[in-house]
Amino acid sequence: MADTNAPKPSSSVKLVLLGEAAVGKSSLVLRFVNNDFQENKEPTIGAAFLTQKCNLPTRTIKFEIWDTAGQERFASLAPMYYRNAQAALVVYDLTKPTSLIKAKHWVAELQRQASPGIVIALVGNKLDLTSDSAGSAEVSGGGDDNAEDSGDARKISTDEAKAYAEEEGLLFFETSAKTGHNVTEVFTAIANAIPETSLKSARGPGASHAGVSRTEEQRVNLNGPRDLDAKEGCAC
Amino acid sequence: MLNLSSFVQKAQQLLDPTQGLNLTDSDKNPSKASLFQSQFRLPDSQHPLYEITAELTIPPSNVTQGGKDQDRGFHYAGKLHLSEAYLCFSTTPSSFLQSASTSTSSAFTGQTHGGGPSGNGFTFPLSSIRRVERLHSQNFQFALAITTWNGISQDALKDNKDKKEVREQRITIQLAGTRVACERFCDGLKKGLRAAVGNVGKLKKVIGECYSEYLLRPEEQKSANPPDAGLGMIFRYPGDPKKLRDRAKMRLWAEYLRDNGRNVTLIRQPTFHKLIRVGLPNRLRGEIWELTSGSVYLRLENPTLYADTLAKHSGKESLAIDEIEKDLNRSLPEYPGFQSEEGIGRLRRVLTAYSWVNADVGYCQAMNIVVAALLIYMSEAQAFFLLSTLCDRLVPGYYSTTMYGTLLDQKVFESLVERTMPILWEHLVKCDVQLSVVSLPWFLSLYINSMPLVFAFRVLDVFFVEGPKVLFQVGLAILRINGEELLDASDDGAFISVLKNYFARLDESAHPKSENPKLRAVTRFQELMVVAFKEFSGITHSTITELRLKNKDAVLNNIESFAKRTAIRNLGPESKLLSTDELGAVYDRFYGVLYERQQRDLIIKQEEARRAKNNRISRIGQMVDEGNVEKGRVGLGPSTSLMDYDAFREFLAGIAKWAVSDSPTQSRRDTGSSNGGGFYNSFRKNESSMSPWGNGPEPADHEFLQRLFRKWDFDSSSALTLQNVVTGLARIKGKRGIMGTINYFFELHDDDGDGKVDREGILRMSEALLFLSRRGLEGTLDRATAPNGMMTEGMVTPGNEVPDQSVNERFLGSVSAFIRRCFEYADPDHPNNQNSQQPAQQQTTSRQEENLISIDDDDAAQGLADPDAFAIGDDDDDDFDEENDDDLLAMDSPTGSPRPAKRSEDTATSSLQPPSSLHLDPSTAPSSISNNDEDRRRRVSRQQSEKANIALDPNNPLHITLPTFRMVVLADELLEQFFESSFPCSFHLVEGINMSSGNSSNAGSSSYGVGGLGSTFSHMGFFGGGVGGANSQQGGAGAGRGLRGVLDNIVTDGMRVAAEVRRRMEEAQRELEKNALPGQHKPGGANRGGGDDDDDDEDDGVPVEGLSLGGNGNGSGGAGGSAAGMRSGGVRSSDRDLLTGADAEASDPTAEAQLQQGSGSGSLGGGGEAHIGGTAKVVGVEFDG
Repeated sequence: MADTNAPKPSSSVKLVLLGEAAVGKSSLVLRFVNNDFQENKEPTIGAAFLTQKCNLPTRTIKFEIWDTAGQERFASLAPMYYRNAQAALVVYDLTKPTSLIKAKHWVAELQRQASPGIVIALVGNKLDLTSDSAGSAEVSGGGDDNAEDSGDARKISTDEAKAYAEEEGLLFFETSAKTGHNVTEVFTAIANAIPETSLKSARGPGASHAGVSRTEEQRVNLNGPRDLDAKEGCAC
Repeated sequence: MLNLSSFVQKAQQLLDPTQGLNLTDSDKNPSKASLFQSQFRLPDSQHPLYEITAELTIPPSNVTQGGKDQDRGFHYAGKLHLSEAYLCFSTTPSSFLQSASTSTSSAFTGQTHGGGPSGNGFTFPLSSIRRVERLHSQNFQFALAITTWNGISQDALKDNKDKKEVREQRITIQLAGTRVACERFCDGLKKGLRAAVGNVGKLKKVIGECYSEYLLRPEEQKSANPPDAGLGMIFRYPGDPKKLRDRAKMRLWAEYLRDNGRNVTLIRQPTFHKLIRVGLPNRLRGEIWELTSGSVYLRLENPTLYADTLAKHSGKESLAIDEIEKDLNRSLPEYPGFQSEEGIGRLRRVLTAYSWVNADVGYCQAMNIVVAALLIYMSEAQAFFLLSTLCDRLVPGYYSTTMYGTLLDQKVFESLVERTMPILWEHLVKCDVQLSVVSLPWFLSLYINSMPLVFAFRVLDVFFVEGPKVLFQVGLAILRINGEELLDASDDGAFISVLKNYFARLDESAHPKSENPKLRAVTRFQELMVVAFKEFSGITHSTITELRLKNKDAVLNNIESFAKRTAIRNLGPESKLLSTDELGAVYDRFYGVLYERQQRDLIIKQEEARRAKNNRISRIGQMVDEGNVEKGRVGLGPSTSLMDYDAFREFLAGIAKWAVSDSPTQSRRDTGSSNGGGFYNSFRKNESSMSPWGNGPEPADHEFLQRLFRKWDFDSSSALTLQNVVTGLARIKGKRGIMGTINYFFELHDDDGDGKVDREGILRMSEALLFLSRRGLEGTLDRATAPNGMMTEGMVTPGNEVPDQSVNERFLGSVSAFIRRCFEYADPDHPNNQNSQQPAQQQTTSRQEENLISIDDDDAAQGLADPDAFAIGDDDDDDFDEENDDDLLAMDSPTGSPRPAKRSEDTATSSLQPPSSLHLDPSTAPSSISNNDEDRRRRVSRQQSEKANIALDPNNPLHITLPTFRMVVLADELLEQFFESSFPCSFHLVEGINMSSGNSSNAGSSSYGVGGLGSTFSHMGFFGGGVGGANSQQGGAGAGRGLRGVLDNIVTDGMRVAAEVRRRMEEAQRELEKNALPGQHKPGGANRGGGDDDDDDEDDGVPVEGLSLGGNGNGSGGAGGSAAGMRSGGVRSSDRDLLTGADAEASDPTAEAQLQQGSGSGSLGGGGEAHIGGTAKVVGVEFDG
């Protein structure tokens, strides 16, 4: 209906970032939203909210990003933020093994507690601190985590994380918020992976899924017609 | 019953929901003290001691503000309160007397009309009062003139004595009360003042750091270095001072302070509150925050705490410190002070110091922002104490590990929105916007992170005077002002951007288009303040308190279910071996035990404090009872998630029958805590013995439990985490395979992990098996299983036993067979040693004993001669065992009676040793056995003795390996079943063990510990309950004593054990004498009587005993069981009698119970000791045969 007029349908997607403290969640978002990197970012209190559009060839996805606090004790607040999220970025620091464990915990939490059908991407950040960061290894010379002599501080192999991601059916990326490597790719991949049926239109008449629609089904019903059209557009 | 009932009362208080919210508990009237403390912002150490209606007169000389009755000064009617170290006056008519109603006690929580909880008046530390004079006033009975140290530092006093430049602060208070009341108050004041003299030094140090002292100093005396008023002095304060009209404010404040006293001697008049509402001047801000929040009083209590804490922990590391480091560079980075090492250093030190003093909270993100903000206006020490006040009182639970305070206040805020702005609320619900995603950061960072700093500080100014309600009022006002725009927003994003936009324009005119220039000048922030405090003036402290109470449980439950979910999911792969239900149950039990224990500890402490107070011992006790009543609940941020050994025992006692103690009223702890004799001590001991385990069954303490604990405690931290416990359980319960369990059991006893278990280890294993089975075996046991080769037909005495018993009995046989086989198949450690000569001393010992055996027990001799007779599957074996069994019957009869033991002793000393028995030392084996069943032990030891094998010689070290162990286990069907199902099944994770059955088995088995193991059977067989009790007691003690001499010679480390045994015996004896009340039961007589009984019954009992021998022993269904139950009931009632201090009329059962108790402590108790006690008996039996 609506998109017969609009050449590029626009939908908003709620995305939540989860992961251990200081793995670079906020930096990833900052890179994605402002294409910027700050060494000293204020820690997130509760959660920060940001939006960014992602232009796909045939439609625009507007990400409503909830960037949550990483400190352990804030975990009990997380349900508040991942509630109704259609996508989640679970971030770990690939120089820090414990962060992957925490990431796995988050994946499990999301799979059990978040909306069914949530798209989860597992993201290993701080690729710049490893030697194999494509072409960006040199840039990372002064990385804040004291990179080891070889310049490779990687503690979690790509294969290990990838295997886990495949097992759990997650998207998987290794990124560097510092260099920007792979950052937009993550968001684009998520945008593409969101099932059309769970897309709601960006703010607009009738877009507010009435009442307490919390389940996918309700959303599907509300936005069904639009989604059908959108389907063709997302074939990238 | 007195103590008991007060105990119950305490427990009920804990359950009372209105006691929640961190209301600390004072003695007689739980909430009064805390209300008093909140009203005057006093430290927890202060209690309302006296109060009296009074009128405060501030003389005209102090008044510069034009007032209504300037000539006569200001008069305030109100209440004067006296605590240990403070004299407080408030116009708020609250009363904290015991008799005061809750509403009068909490009057301050209602409308405060901008005066804050403490209203108008003063809060003087007694140390700041220089002089109190009684005036002769015409109008009043009592009038006091109070002169303070205000502005008179000691040296200034000397210099300016005659100059009169420094005006004395002198106020008058007319007391309105009866003469008696007035006098009592004055007496209290006098006492307090005298006590406070010592604190003047502290006071001087504290006020020396207050900027007001510097501000009010005459120009010529202003030293170069003013007190630290925060980073702002170096890096400028945020905002434009001109725009903030800082100089004007400063002048007004200087004037006010000059007239009304500074820092601790400040008198609050309405102007004070008005001055705060318009915003504090930069350099005084820190000091006034400190004053209004009451953190200055904390600082006054311990002025050097901050520096001391830093010094004490200097160089140490912690998780909190790591977390702090991560955030240091990102705390108010826009403020130049925090781009410098100076600012960051201060921030680091304050956060670190706090994380040390309050390790439960540690560090929470957002604290960095709050502290950074504080540090702009105050010194490090001031910020440190203010942070403390914030976390403990102003925003409790905000920064705790579960952040329950934050979540709770969000719920409270949501209900306030729903109540005050129903349309907006409906809209939020309709749009599925969760309010707290927006408002949570407001509260958590006290608006510092949400509003431009200058405005956030204005909010803080009021917040510190009026308390947390301010946060709500401001939040509501924000929503109200933006109501229309918010109604247009339909999702989180839009909602947030509306508010973001609003905060960015707080300094703009609220009415830019207004004709009226005055109206135009009103900024949005001013509008916000007006709406917050006028329109929402109905939101009071009591509103918040009520709503917090209402929502608290739901919030905590949410957090707990989240925490549980997360914890269980994060337990790692091993936890998958257990079912979800089991994990959930383990989780609940784990934290349940920890919580219970903390609650009990608290009650006990309070009880002690109360007692201490009643005894007028000291005031110290008062400090103890101020703990947080609700510690330990997971939702509140567990103060511990570690389980120590005692908690572990308690935990196991909840899931496994064998972990329940045999002697319910006697615990190792009590024995340890009873120092010295005397009636009072035994009185106390019994009292406290009720509490350590609460209502649950008292856990056993056995070497096996210690092993299990150590095994589960991977990181050797002497404490178990949930992870440890789950992993530990998973290894036992999860690996359903028999091999896994066997391996596990073996590893448990392989101390050095070298794959070998030595002689001691083998014996410990068998002890453990007996320990685990002493309440019967669980799981799927094939009851019809015919005894295998090693099982003795004779043991299963036909006809007289219920099937259940036979299984358990057969298990005993299995265990003894187990030991024999273990020794038989053990590998020698040093084969060469076998034939070497033994040290003479040792040899004598072993010879004697062995000799005893060979003399007393023909079979043993026979066994000696033919060790091969014990070979597995050997036909001879059966025959032998049958013989053996007959022999057992004969041997059992003298069980526990001293006479035979003596006889054997005599024999021992007089006999010569046949050289052939040189290398035989059966005694080593039994000596190390600690089990609870003398009967079983008897068999075991007997068989051991019979097994006259070189393997038993301590000088021939030997060991078994896992394959050997496996083989030995699998050779016995019952043992196999034990490992296959019985042992894993004995952990009842989900359903727990039935309390009542636990108790009854408890009661039934209490006789174990009492008379030693075998005697259980003896009175099961032929005594009534009472007689049996006496008998068992007698048996245990008597046999043990008679054996002492023998014992000395037995064991490898004979001396030590003997000493231990002697000690235990004497203890038992003392215990006996103590418990038996004079004139009612002479212990000696009781003993003898018991002995006689024993002897008499011996004859009759022989056959019966033989029949019941090997029975389950926990008296399942038998007459002995019920008798034992009665007896243990007797123990309890006697306890209670003692508790109430009633003269224990030593009616027979009671006396017996006491006796029993006494001997129980001799034979049971601490692991090692218990087993030595047991040993004594075993050995005794050994020689009787």
